[in-house]
Amino acid sequence: MAAALCRRFFSAVRVSGVLQAPPGACLSGLTLNLLHKNSTKVEPLYQCKFLHTTLSRKGLEEFFDDPKNWGETVVKSGDEWHAKHLRNKSNEDLHKLWYVLLKEKNMLLTLEQEAKRQSLPMPSPERLEKVEKSMGRINLVIKEREVALRLLQTGHENPRPGEWRNDFLGRTYWYNSKEWPIPWYLNKKYNRRKFFYLPHVKHFIRLRIEQHLKKQARMKSLEKKKQFLLQKKFPHLAAQSQN
Amino acid sequence: MRLTALLAMAARMKLPPDYRHGIYRPWTAAAKANNPPGLRRKKVFVEPISKEDWKVFRGDTVEILTGKDARKQGVVNQVIRARNWVFVQGLNTHYHYIRRTANYPGTYIANEAPLLLRQIALVDPTDRKPTEVEWRYTEEGERVRVSLRTGRIIPLPVYQRRDGIIPEQWKDGPKDTSVDDVLDRTYQPSLKLFEEEILELQGIVETRRARKSYWY
Repeated sequence: MAAALCRRFFSAVRVSGVLQAPPGACLSGLTLNLLHKNSTKVEPLYQCKFLHTTLSRKGLEEFFDDPKNWGETVVKSGDEWHAKHLRNKSNEDLHKLWYVLLKEKNMLLTLEQEAKRQSLPMPSPERLEKVEKSMGRINLVIKEREVALRLLQTGHENPRPGEWRNDFLGRTYWYNSKEWPIPWYLNKKYNRRKFFYLPHVKHFIRLRIEQHLKKQARMKSLEKKKQFLLQKKFPHLAAQSQN
Repeated sequence: MRLTALLAMAARMKLPPDYRHGIYRPWTAAAKANNPPGLRRKKVFVEPISKEDWKVFRGDTVEILTGKDARKQGVVNQVIRARNWVFVQGLNTHYHYIRRTANYPGTYIANEAPLLLRQIALVDPTDRKPTEVEWRYTEEGERVRVSLRTGRIIPLPVYQRRDGIIPEQWKDGPKDTSVDDVLDRTYQPSLKLFEEEILELQGIVETRRARKSYWY
């Protein structure tokens, strides 16, 4: 279907734009066609798929390491970025650093996959861990800044509003609000949900509380038993705790 | 960006509460083979020693008190705190024979067996004999290990990084950031969100207005 569309467009469109059609570039949307100079040339069928290559063909070498490191079994890498250093950096720096780390991660993942394909050990896999940790820390720092700003402006830490609600079984839980396009009184799906319980549920609430208390008692007695066994195995602990 | 944070949460290993720690660390293939999920083994009682009370670290010189290699001193190779285990380099070994094949003559490989903390004693640097050690504070407020027999401070072993880097001898590679660049403070606190600041810097003007939505 897409192939037929392409061919029809090529025959219909007149030369208008000044831009040179890059060799091998395929079509994505119909808008790109109008800018191609050599639009009368019919592309072969297999190229007219939903595939879009970037206009510049440079940059694939960034998926691979420096050619000097090709074939090495150990590649030296420095320390990872720590949160205390990242907190001193501006948002612009963090944004740029994120993409630098992302490209490095893509390179290392390509290397890992290629090593798996050739059944060889990946040279210095700790680099991937370091990059992932650094990216996680950037996330952390940005979250911290956002939470600080929200606390100042609203007094809440959580981005989503919520409240404690009961469900139809009598359990109380933290309900996180959802974003809806329509108000609650028009929302059929929301109105079918029950945030209250009927009087016959009270008996079961009592039973649930009993269950909880029994579980607590069981855990406490288990702790006591463990301590007793430890005292038996390591008698000096009793003397220590007395001191 | 926030999705990556969610995905990273799944990466951390969760061990069952009655997991028995062995010679292999829990994230290695051998440990995963020995401890498949759902395995329940007899409980091993481990003397509870708090993090602050722990005295033996990797790189320390210790003397073995009991066992095959008693009264011998060695350097600590590995510490497994979950079982109060210490591995001393080259000592308390058992031998594991690798059968000879067509291309290989066959050999014995020495593997260190773990030692409990009770079978180990730290060595006093003055007289090179085993001593009891206690954590105490110096006049400056530094927490140090003090030998109870002589009163000499036993310094902590030099911390060696897992990746083998010695910070003083490191030379920056092409992808490394220099120390000055890392310590350079560029953060200006402002009341703008990260996203708003980046939009401004990129020159993107957001003219779209969000549709009215309801939160409930």
